[in-house]
Amino acid sequence: MNYHAFLLWWSRTFTMTIKELKQLIRDPVLLLIIAYFFTIDVYMAGSGINLSLRNASIMAIDHDHSPASRELIYRFRPPYFDFKGDISGKNEAEERLNKGQILAVLDIPENFQRHLLQGQAETVQFQVDTSNTVLGTLATTYAMQITADFGRDFVGKQTGLNSDTMEALPVIQNRYRVLYNPNRIDSWFMSIMELLTVITMLSMMLPAAAAVREKERGTIEQLAVSPLSSLQILLPKVISMGLVILFGVAVCLFLIIIPLFHLPVKGSISLFFAVTALYVFTASGIGLFIATISQSLGQVTMLVILLMMPILLLSGAWAPPETMPHAMYLAMTVSPLYYYNEMTYAILLKGAGIDILWDSILELSGLGVVFFNFGIWHFRRQF
Amino acid sequence: MGEASLVDKQAVINITGFCKRYKKKLAVNAVDLTIQRGEIYGLIGPDGAGKSSLMKAIAGVLSFEQGTLDVLGVTIDSEASAEKIKGRLGFMPQGLGLNLYGDLSVEENIDFFAQLREVQPEQLDQRKDKLLGMTRLDKFRERPMKNLSGGMKQKLGLICTLIHQPELVILDEPTTGVDPVSRRDFWAILAELLQEHNITALVSTAYMDEAARFNRLSLMYNGQILAAGTPDAISQQAKGCLIELTAEPQLEALKQLKIHYLQIETIGSRIRVFADNTSVNAGVKTVTDLLAGVKIKTIRAFDAALEDSFIALLRQRPLTDQTQKDNSIPRFDKPLPDDKSIAIEAKQLTRDFGKFRSVDHINFSVKQGEIFGLLGANGAGKTTAIKMLTGILPPSEGEGQVAGADMRKAGQLIKERIGYMSQAFSLYLDLTVMENIRLFASIYGVDRKTLKQRIDWVINIAGLAEVIGQLAGSLPMGIRQRLALGCALIHQPGVLFLDEPTSGVDPIGRRQFWDILVHLARVEQVAILVTTHYMTEAEHCDHLVLMYAGRVIADDTPTTMIESLQNEAGQLLEITTDKPLQALTLLEKENFKGVALFGKHIHLLALDVKRVKKQISELLTKHSIKLLEITAQTPTLEDVFVYRVLALENKELT
Repeated sequence: MNYHAFLLWWSRTFTMTIKELKQLIRDPVLLLIIAYFFTIDVYMAGSGINLSLRNASIMAIDHDHSPASRELIYRFRPPYFDFKGDISGKNEAEERLNKGQILAVLDIPENFQRHLLQGQAETVQFQVDTSNTVLGTLATTYAMQITADFGRDFVGKQTGLNSDTMEALPVIQNRYRVLYNPNRIDSWFMSIMELLTVITMLSMMLPAAAAVREKERGTIEQLAVSPLSSLQILLPKVISMGLVILFGVAVCLFLIIIPLFHLPVKGSISLFFAVTALYVFTASGIGLFIATISQSLGQVTMLVILLMMPILLLSGAWAPPETMPHAMYLAMTVSPLYYYNEMTYAILLKGAGIDILWDSILELSGLGVVFFNFGIWHFRRQF
Repeated sequence: MGEASLVDKQAVINITGFCKRYKKKLAVNAVDLTIQRGEIYGLIGPDGAGKSSLMKAIAGVLSFEQGTLDVLGVTIDSEASAEKIKGRLGFMPQGLGLNLYGDLSVEENIDFFAQLREVQPEQLDQRKDKLLGMTRLDKFRERPMKNLSGGMKQKLGLICTLIHQPELVILDEPTTGVDPVSRRDFWAILAELLQEHNITALVSTAYMDEAARFNRLSLMYNGQILAAGTPDAISQQAKGCLIELTAEPQLEALKQLKIHYLQIETIGSRIRVFADNTSVNAGVKTVTDLLAGVKIKTIRAFDAALEDSFIALLRQRPLTDQTQKDNSIPRFDKPLPDDKSIAIEAKQLTRDFGKFRSVDHINFSVKQGEIFGLLGANGAGKTTAIKMLTGILPPSEGEGQVAGADMRKAGQLIKERIGYMSQAFSLYLDLTVMENIRLFASIYGVDRKTLKQRIDWVINIAGLAEVIGQLAGSLPMGIRQRLALGCALIHQPGVLFLDEPTSGVDPIGRRQFWDILVHLARVEQVAILVTTHYMTEAEHCDHLVLMYAGRVIADDTPTTMIESLQNEAGQLLEITTDKPLQALTLLEKENFKGVALFGKHIHLLALDVKRVKKQISELLTKHSIKLLEITAQTPTLEDVFVYRVLALENKELT
């Protein structure tokens, strides 16, 4: 390609990109949607959704009515539990659990205190609504911990040991250190996860919408008879929409996630943007493929929703790859979000640099080239 | 409009002082209209004249600000009153098959509309069979609507509108984008159905030559009724006559006449002038006297048909701001070489879609400076042929040369050398006129030095100076098409492909459009390949090819085509009787050739004019139908088209 032809190629691509941006600016509804996703949507995900046990409502059937039983019940308290009072019997407990009014019921048998004082083993029953597995599991774990502590303290008092002398006993203590997110703030994880979901969706959606709109309005025909190649028709859509998405990511990061959720950015922001650009390019390849097989904007939307599910599932964000069945584990290795997800957390929270991430970057680039070329190739074939 | 001022109890529609406003824009302004039972009433006018608004208000789907509107004896003044008459009327909105469901079959569409209208099942079956039979759609009952041709879609639309036997049907441009054969078919079916059930019809159209199909009509412009009455009466309202001449050199004659006349056009080798306030007798002399240094070969004067009258009427009343436009259309900045080499050539070009052969070994060639018309019914393969020649679609077989490059090998080169304008408006509606032009200038690689000059040239040639900053979406159809042409010309190509460029554009817009095309061909030697459903436009072409089922069935100049029809089938007889519909049935039964109803007149073809005239007169007298007039005329291109296509269709049926 000589110099003149090269200039012409870029000048064409440039004007087409400007055209796409102009069209987007004149579409207030679409602009509003994009703005919503990068601000309110991410904020809601970060502030609203919480994965820890907070104020779980609990009630007790106390058959014993002794100081010991009251002491145990008293230990189920905020922030984890919220004791709502006593109930009469099993029937009421079942009813309340069925209705979802409470999360758990603690059942303390008669002679609870007497047996303990006699040095006999005693059991309490803990009924948990585990329809939400995360909450159910957490409640059970905390309840076990609380009961165990109670038992230890009770025995300690019996044998005349106070808290100071307890320390002297040979007890193994489990001390842990939390890395990367020391206070275990869910909003960091949640808001970043939501941001990645938004990026994935818009990177597929926006270029696909821009391409299918040309189809719907018949303008694609005019472009097809012009000296533009398929690449020149499609690349500007990816470039322009990619710029819009990167801008949105910047807004989201600097106006929502960092100031509102106090995310400490450990790694290089520019590396994060570079990786994001690479990912947008890869996902837009899928978008172009969607645009080729769709005839209308409605179809594009449905297909994006359809593809979002497996992409998120295979991203490794909700379940680590090791827990997946083997076939799905293999599918994850061709899922671009898997690499991007891993790199995002690594850069933002762990402060990883290119020296650690180079292999993921290479793999994502490889996928990008394949997906994008597939999109273009498919687009060319439809005429 | 004497009859409109009286409140007529018998009238199906009675409108006085009707006004409709969209925000600040007055769409319909003080319209009075009365339509009698059993009439086919036409509304004709350019886009934005207010036809659709008026029709929607009558159908009760649009509110209005002023005036009274009585439909079927009910005064429409609220949504509740509009609801009362909805069961008694049928409304078919503008656009091919827009009110139908593409994925439903023909029969499912009909059933759906019948259920919507609560037609009883027994009645439905009976009516459906009859209507499907009449429209010859019964073979396609199972076919999804989206796979029908344009003409068939409109016929199905008509069935769905008529399935509940309304007293009044309102059809908004039912024939736009439909080929002449299907159009003629549509009108015949409509006339028959309306007659049978005494249905009244209000129909709008963009085809002036269809005006003859109406009993009465109104010409609308800018929200007002310009003229109303029978087609003949309206033609006579424009004072003046048409003069048609051929002269050498044509360009010189044109230049001299343009000084004196505003309404002038060239049709192939002929020049056609509308001379205001000149009688037919004086016309020839007046024009001859104006020409100096030009050899006049033939010249004749005659009464104008509706299209020319309409334009003349607009000019004669100070409604338009049609100031005399600058006559000098700007030239190419790099004129094409003045040679008559071949610009487009198709050799045995073929394209298959699966088992279906869309284009079947077609051959033709177009020289530089020639306007070449590609005619054919919807689905005859014209668009596919153009797509192959422009390099969008690879051919299955055969080869082609376009602008000096091989179509199969040098697609990219061809794309740089041609201009293309497609059927639907295919520019960006959300960009302004200027932005559209700039975008295409960049796509076609117009270099920076000539950019400004070239943009000015496009604005000038397409007459876009006043709308330069407006969004393309806000422009009326006629101007949009000129913008599309302007963008197709930005790189001053030597070859131009136009696929139904004027579909849905009003007569004035079409004329301005063709003025530009004729200039490009004659002055700049651009080769132009154009497809159209307007047969009056086909007359502008130097050369015509008629396609049928993917094949070329006729290839000649328009004049020769008409002559060969005359040799084969004879003259066109126009018969006027007092009972046109009975006469029509009678003549059809007696197997006369090409019988068709045009409003009150019947057209047919006859070789031996004298003998046929005598035959008809005897036949009609025998059935006590009064023959008012019978005249022989030269057949038009539409007659050629319909005759040729029907002949083949009939051959395939037997």
